[in-house]
Amino acid sequence: MTRRRPASSRFVRPQWAISIAGALAAIGFVGAAQWNSSLARQEFITSAQRVLITEAEQLTRQQEAFRSEIELAEERVRGFQLRDEGSRSEMEALSAELASARLAAGLGAVRGPGAIIEIADSQRPVPVGESATNYIVLVDDMRDVVTALWASGAEAITIAGGGADGVPAERLVSTTSIYGVGSSILVNTAFLSPPFRFEAIGPDGLHERFLAHPTYLARLQPRIDAYGLQFASEPRDDLMLPAFIGNTALRWGAPISERN
Amino acid sequence: MVARIAQLSLFAVATIIGILLVGQLRSQARPIELSSLSARELSTLIETLSARNVELSDGLASLREQIREYERAELQGQSARELTEEDLDRLAAFAGLRGVEGQGLVIEIDGSFDPTAVNDLIYELRNAGAEAIAVDDVRITARSVAVLGTGAIEIDGVPIGSPFTISAIGSPSGLRAAIERPGGILTLLGQSIDAVFTVTERTTLVVAGTQRDLTPQVARSVE
Repeated sequence: MTRRRPASSRFVRPQWAISIAGALAAIGFVGAAQWNSSLARQEFITSAQRVLITEAEQLTRQQEAFRSEIELAEERVRGFQLRDEGSRSEMEALSAELASARLAAGLGAVRGPGAIIEIADSQRPVPVGESATNYIVLVDDMRDVVTALWASGAEAITIAGGGADGVPAERLVSTTSIYGVGSSILVNTAFLSPPFRFEAIGPDGLHERFLAHPTYLARLQPRIDAYGLQFASEPRDDLMLPAFIGNTALRWGAPISERN
Repeated sequence: MVARIAQLSLFAVATIIGILLVGQLRSQARPIELSSLSARELSTLIETLSARNVELSDGLASLREQIREYERAELQGQSARELTEEDLDRLAAFAGLRGVEGQGLVIEIDGSFDPTAVNDLIYELRNAGAEAIAVDDVRITARSVAVLGTGAIEIDGVPIGSPFTISAIGSPSGLRAAIERPGGILTLLGQSIDAVFTVTERTTLVVAGTQRDLTPQVARSVE
């Protein structure tokens, strides 16, 4: 007697096979698209840009090394200053002036209440015929956030990017540049990529004053509304901002000393 | 058993699809910065990074020299008060608390201007390596920004008249080349603003210290 398969099993196995076949086709399609886009990008950068990119990466690594060494050297200088054996009252007065100058210059880590602002590229698809640059955070947007924060009473600001872990936030000081090269943004000549996070310490109401400031209302908010730039902000009771690490020496000028 | 294998297989396939789709979507977002730059943009970037690395290298050399002097003073049992006072001058000048005298550039601006244009010029000068900047007599510190006051541009609460002057301590030729380069800030401002710019290199220039009290009200040192 021939055993017959149950009627149901004749229909289950083909359906299952069709589902797997469809899924494998999808994998193949997406994998091919991924591979093609990788090849296209690879082909794009294996031209004259490759040499320039390598040089830029090398200079960036060199910059990071310099900054680490500067941080250590500044620590050593401070160590000497703290244990100087000069006249106690004179050195105490000098130490107090030094501490004040370091605080004003942004050369020491600080703590206090303030606000956090975050901004990132839009997730909206770019309509046909529109410029894609409208939908990404531009250097003007970064400068507007900083302008509105300082004008609202911020006493210290850092900017961090959403790049690799461990990349320190950039403290804004008197020589800080926020600069755009193409669609890239550099702060203190360090590359930052979105999402961008601004942390600002300042007196009570800093967050509200920022949101009411004309620079934010007239320039940044319309871009957020029109192009869907991602934006979030909130006040904070306690923030800690790192010190600026970089060159503080004058090469083209000299301080006008008050002792002369 | 067969049904179980089918479920696990479908789960694995769906997971693989998900991973590939995420990768594909991410590749549509803002591209990796360096690879998205043109050769010209990369050249500009390299120029900026090179100049900044030279500054950092010089700054590091200066600090190391300072350390050597402190070590010498310590070995000889001498007070390093003079060294510390020099360091105070350096830090105070960097903060904008003290005036700075040196070489640099003066830009005289006559015409209609807005606060954003003033801020953009300041950022451009900083990126070109300006070590100290003043707008008229107002020293630009970290916290100084141009905003629209009551009827005039204000910086640190001080109205900026028209015409006005921006003074910057730095390499005169380097600063000039940065702001006058084709497609640079003066070109862009010239297209959008009705103003006349007069740029002068100076071998002697004084930028005064700030009149603003930079003592923070709420920020406290953690050191």
